Parts: sequence; structure tokens; C-alpha cells
Amino acid sequence: MQNRPAGFGNPWLQLVLSIACVLVSEFLLKRGATEVADTDSAWSWTGINGLASPLVWWAILLIVASFISWLYVLRYIPITIAFPLSRVVDILIPLGCWIFLGESISTLRWCGIALVVIGLALVAKPIAQIEERL
Amino acid sequence: MSFLAFFLIVVSLVSYVAAQIILKRAMDATKTSGFRDVRFVWRITVGIVLMTISFFLTLGLLQRFDLSYLYPFQGLSVIFITLMAAVMLKEKLNTRLVVGALLISAGIVLVSMS
Repeated sequence: MQNRPAGFGNPWLQLVLSIACVLVSEFLLKRGATEVADTDSAWSWTGINGLASPLVWWAILLIVASFISWLYVLRYIPITIAFPLSRVVDILIPLGCWIFLGESISTLRWCGIALVVIGLALVAKPIAQIEERL
Repeated sequence: MSFLAFFLIVVSLVSYVAAQIILKRAMDATKTSGFRDVRFVWRITVGIVLMTISFFLTLGLLQRFDLSYLYPFQGLSVIFITLMAAVMLKEKLNTRLVVGALLISAGIVLVSMS
């Protein structure tokens, strides 16, 4: 087993960076894809025409960055732990819309956020043991 | 939702899950055989191709449906990847991880449907 790198090479830091890039790219993709949407085109199911938006290209850049970080994470952390943790992005998106865009969050959505937080806590618990092994 | 849309959502999900498992296997192998191994290059290439297919299908679907509508399907990837990692990569699963994955998936579905 290789020693876990410290500093910028710390796989947990890379996981955070990967999540941050995904978070921003999701907003850029939705906005960019909608801006250039042409649902009458036969090829539009492939999403190729989304490339007409500069925002989609910025999103692709961030996705590449998050992908490189993610590969690094996969080298050191079991995917059964890393992947569920990476889905924290699914609650950060509605929370981001609530905090920055002033969108409201329904009771049902708060319940969903609570479930994800509990799930994340359960998955994150064995991290201490993994750290010992690493 | 048309059959075509549902089919494309499933293809996108399966591509994504398969890509993650293949990429994990590729990165695991680098610990013993390094980055210049032919199998590493092959697996990374297949993983990237599958991720790309999933990406463009999602982009196409996003132009027709709200992100909140498509997200429940992406939420299912947590369960599928956890199970596939246990079966194909022999990663150890315990009750805590399984319950955690189920709660995260259920939570994502609730967040996106509400």
C-alpha cells in the first residue's frame, strides 16, 4: 500500500476540488445548453449543438479538471466511499440556488437534503479507519 | 416522457456506471504496473469514451427536460456504483455503506422531485 501523499496531493483535498469543479460546471451546462437549445434539430438529442455555447466550453474545461482530480482520488480511496461522498454536490446545488439565487426550498426538498446528509455521515464514518490503513 | 427519452436516460446511466468501475480498475492497477501499461491506457480510453457518451446524452436531455427532472436518475448511480464495486472490484461493503448509499440516493430523488 502506498503512503498517502500530503498537501496538494492529499486525495481528500482532491476530492473536494473535484466536487467544486463539478458544482460550477453543472450550473454552466444547464445555462449554456438552454441558451442554444434547438429542439427541432434531429441531432439535438445528442447534445452536440450545446457546443455552440461558450458556457458549455467553460463547463467542459472544469469537467476535465474534475476528471483528473477524480482519477487521482480513485487511486487512493475505495470507490464505495469516494463516489457516495462526491454526490454531496446534489445537495450543494439546491442549497446554492437557495443561498445565492434566493430560490425557495420546499419541505420535501429539505427532507431530501436531510437524508443525503445522514447518508453522507454514514459513508464518511469509516474514513477514519481508512486513514489508519493508508 | 417518450420511450426514446427513457432509453437515452438508461444508456447514459449505464455508460456512467460502467465508466466509473473501469476507471477505478485502471487506477488501482497503476499501483503495481504503473502508467505505461497497455491495459491502463486501454481502460482509461474506454472509460473516457463511456463518460463522453454519457455527457453528450445528458446534454441533449438537458435541452428538453429540467435538471430537476433528470437528477433522480443520476441519483440512482450511487446505488449502482456501490453494488458494482462490491461485485466487480471486490471492494468491501458493510451495512453502514449500503444504508448510506441508499439514503443518499433516496435523498437525491426527493431533492429533485420536490
